[in-house]
Amino acid sequence: MSRLQLRTLLRGALRPPDNDSAFLLDVHRRAVPRERMARYDEDYPVDLAIVGAGAGGATLAQRLARRGWKVVVLEVGPFWDPDRDWVSDEAGSHALYWTEERIVGGRDPVELGKNNSGRGVGGSMVHYAGYCPRFHPSDFEVRTRDGVGEDWPISYPELKRHYELLELELPVAGERWPWGDPHRYPHTAHPIAGGAELAVQGARELGIEMRVGPVGITNGSFGNRPHCIYRGFCLQGCKVNAKASPLVTHIPDAIAHGAEIRADCMVTAVELDDASGRVTGVRYVSDGREHLQRADAVAVAGYSIETPRLLLNSTSRRFPNGLANGNDQVGRCVMVQGAPQVAGRFAREVRMYKAPPPEISSEQFYETDPTRGFARGFSIQTVGPLPIGWAEHVLADGHWGQALREYMRDYNHWYTLGALSELLPVAENRVTLASEVTDRNGIPVARMDYTQCENDRKNIAMAKRTMQEIMEAAGAQETLVIDRYAHLVGGCRMGVDPERSVVDSDHRAWGIPNLFIADGSVMPTQGSANPALTIMAASSRLADRLGSKLSDEAVGSAKPERSGAWPLHRSSRARPRHGRRQPA
Amino acid sequence: MPGRDFSLPEHLPNLRPDRQPAPPQELPRQRNGVTPQMHGRYPDYNVLDERSHWDRQTRRMVLERVEQLPPVRFFTAQEAATLEVFCDLVLGQDGEPKIPVLEMVDAKLFEGKLDGFRYEDLPDDRETWRRVAAGLDAAARQHGAERLPACSPETQRQLIQAFSEGRLHGEVWDQLPASRAWKVVTRAILSEFYSHPWAWNEIGFGGPAYPRGYARLGAGQRESWEGAPAFERDPVKDVPERGLE
Repeated sequence: MSRLQLRTLLRGALRPPDNDSAFLLDVHRRAVPRERMARYDEDYPVDLAIVGAGAGGATLAQRLARRGWKVVVLEVGPFWDPDRDWVSDEAGSHALYWTEERIVGGRDPVELGKNNSGRGVGGSMVHYAGYCPRFHPSDFEVRTRDGVGEDWPISYPELKRHYELLELELPVAGERWPWGDPHRYPHTAHPIAGGAELAVQGARELGIEMRVGPVGITNGSFGNRPHCIYRGFCLQGCKVNAKASPLVTHIPDAIAHGAEIRADCMVTAVELDDASGRVTGVRYVSDGREHLQRADAVAVAGYSIETPRLLLNSTSRRFPNGLANGNDQVGRCVMVQGAPQVAGRFAREVRMYKAPPPEISSEQFYETDPTRGFARGFSIQTVGPLPIGWAEHVLADGHWGQALREYMRDYNHWYTLGALSELLPVAENRVTLASEVTDRNGIPVARMDYTQCENDRKNIAMAKRTMQEIMEAAGAQETLVIDRYAHLVGGCRMGVDPERSVVDSDHRAWGIPNLFIADGSVMPTQGSANPALTIMAASSRLADRLGSKLSDEAVGSAKPERSGAWPLHRSSRARPRHGRRQPA
Repeated sequence: MPGRDFSLPEHLPNLRPDRQPAPPQELPRQRNGVTPQMHGRYPDYNVLDERSHWDRQTRRMVLERVEQLPPVRFFTAQEAATLEVFCDLVLGQDGEPKIPVLEMVDAKLFEGKLDGFRYEDLPDDRETWRRVAAGLDAAARQHGAERLPACSPETQRQLIQAFSEGRLHGEVWDQLPASRAWKVVTRAILSEFYSHPWAWNEIGFGGPAYPRGYARLGAGQRESWEGAPAFERDPVKDVPERGLE
C-alpha cells in the first residue's frame, strides 16, 4: 500500500506527535484540568514570561514547555470554563471580547469589539469562526512578485512543517486543497448545510470552484474532545470543545509540561534594565494590586492592538517613545481584511443558523491577476449570521422600522457569503496611544487609525461583485450587499531592516536581545486567509528557533548551570515537569 | 386574508415600489407563545417551549430577558420618553406586546457594558445616547413640536429617516456626527431586540442549541421541533398533490 493510501485510510485516526492536549482534557466536563498546574514565584526569574494566551502565546508556551522552559503566561482575561462561562447565545457572549475602551479613527475606521478582538485564555480563537487556511507561498514575497506591500523575512517552506503539525493538532477538516501549496487535511470534510450546497452549485456554474473546509473542527471525536453537533454558535465560544482554540489544543499540554497560565492579569509594562538594554520582567495588575514577574526573556503576544499599546506604554530612558520603538515603527502598518458580505434570498428555507458558520471557501481569486486592475486578491467563504448579525446586515442596507422587521422575518430564506480581501500595509495606518483616555488602571488606551488605499477599494468592489454573481447563479431572488472588516494583523512587523520593522525574522525586537513578539502583529502582509493558523505556525517556528539558540548559548556562557536542561523531547506522553512551587 | 406564498420574494421591501413592506397586521396572529405585536410567520412556534433542552447557563440568561424587566436607571425620565419613541420607531414596535428595548439598553449602559471601541469624533457610548436624546428633541423643535414624542407620526418617521441618512443638523448635531451616532445607537437597539426570545419566535430562529445540536441541515429540512412556517403549503396545490381529494 502506498503511503498516500495509508494516510487516507488513517484520516482522523492520526495523533499529533508532540501535543497531548486532546487527551489531557476531561471526558465529562469541558474545563481544562489545572489542578496540577505549576505556580511560579514572582521573584523567581522564569525562562520566559509570555503576555497573552491566544493563538501566538499559547502555542509558544506549549512548544517551549515541552522543551523544558519554565514559562509563565499572563492573560488579562479569565481562564474560561466552557460549561460555566459560555452560553448558546449571541448577546450573552459579550465577555469574550475586548470591551475596554479603544478609539478608532482615520477615513475608514475599523469597528473593534466583537468583530475582531478577544480576551481570556484561548484569545480571539475562542470565538473565531474556525477557518484555518494556510497562507499561499506568494504571500511571503508580495513586494518581489507584485510590487506592493512588503516581503516577509521568512518564506513559506520555513512554515510548511509547522502548518502540517498544527493541522494535526487542531485538527483541521476539509477537502483536498488545490490552492497555494496544494495539500490534504487530516480530518475529512464536514457535511454542509443547504445554503452552502446552493452556493457551491452557483459558483460551479460560473466556473468558480468552492471546497469544503478548511475548518479547525474535529470531524468525529478527537481524544477527549467530542464531535461537532452543528449547533451554529462557533462565534460564541464552542461549548462542545469540538472547535479548536488554544484553550483546548495547546493549553492542556503546556500545563502538563510545567507552564503556568496566570489568568486575570493585566500587564501594564515590560520592564527594561537601562544599563544592559535587556528586559527583566513584566509589571502587571491582578486583584487590584501591582505585581512584577521577573523573567529572563519576555514574549509579547497581545495581538495587533494590545501589543503595540503595551510597547508604547513601556517607556524607559533608553526607549523614551516606547519599548522597541527607537525607529518609530511600533504600531505602524496595522491591517485588517476587507470583509464585505453578500446575502442571497432563496425560495426554500435554508436556515443559516444551523451548521457551523464556516463551511465552504474558494481561493480562486487569491493571487494577483493583472487583468483585474489591482494587486493581490481575495477569498470567498461562508458566514452564518445569527439574528443580531443578520439585523446589522439588514440595517446596513438602509432598512429600519417595518422594513427591517420584514427582512428579519425572512431570515430563514437567506444565506450569506463573505469575502476576505487582502488590504495592503500602509505606514499611516497605525496604532498609537490615546494619551487623554486611560483605562481603569490609569494606562493610556490604544487608538487605531485606518484609511483604505485605492488598491483596497478596487479589491473589495470586485469581491462584492463576484459574490453577488455567485448568489445570482445559485438562484437568489434578491441580494443584500454590505461592507465589513475582519481580522487584524500587523502593527509590529518582522523584517530585515530595523528602519522598517520592529522585530527580526526570529521575532526578536531590534536592539533588545531578550524581547520577542509572538502574535499576528509581526505579520508584514495578511494574504486573503484567516490568520489564526499562520499565527500559530509562526509561534511554533519561533519555538524551534529559541530552543536551538538558547541551548547553544547555554553550552557557551549564558547559563552553564542549566546546560542540558532544555532537551528536545519527542515523547508522545505528557510528562509533567513542575517548576519551583510557591509555598502553599 | 388569502394565503401568501413566501417562496416568492414579492414581499421584500427592496422589490416593492415604496421600499416598504405590506402592513404586518396581515400576517398570521401568533397562536403559541408571544411575538412582538403578536404577528409572525411561525404562528405555532414558541422557542421557549424548548427551554428544557438548553444548558442551564443559557436557559437562565434567556429566561431572565423575558421574566425580569429592568428599571430605567441610566436615562432621565425625559430622555427615556424620547428614546422609547425612537426605539419603537426603529424597530417598528407599534403596539403591544413590546419587547422592552429601552429598558434593556438602559441596563446595559447603567452597568457600563460597552462594545470595546468608540469613534474619535464621538463621546463615550453613554454620552452619545444622551446627546442623541437631546438631538432628537432639538430636531423635533425645528418641526414645531416641543419634543420627539409630541411630533406627529409622520414627522417622527421623517426625523428617523433623516437620522439614518446622517441628515440631521443644527444644535446638538453640529457636535455629533449623525451617521456615526446612528451606528452606535442602532447597534445597541438591534442587539437587545434580537436577543429576546419573542423576536426569535417571530423570525423562526431555532434559539439556543446546546447540547442538542442539529442533524437536519439541508435546504427545506428542519428538526421536528423547529417552527413550521405558515403558508408553507398552498392548499389549492397541496390537496391534489397529497391525494386528499
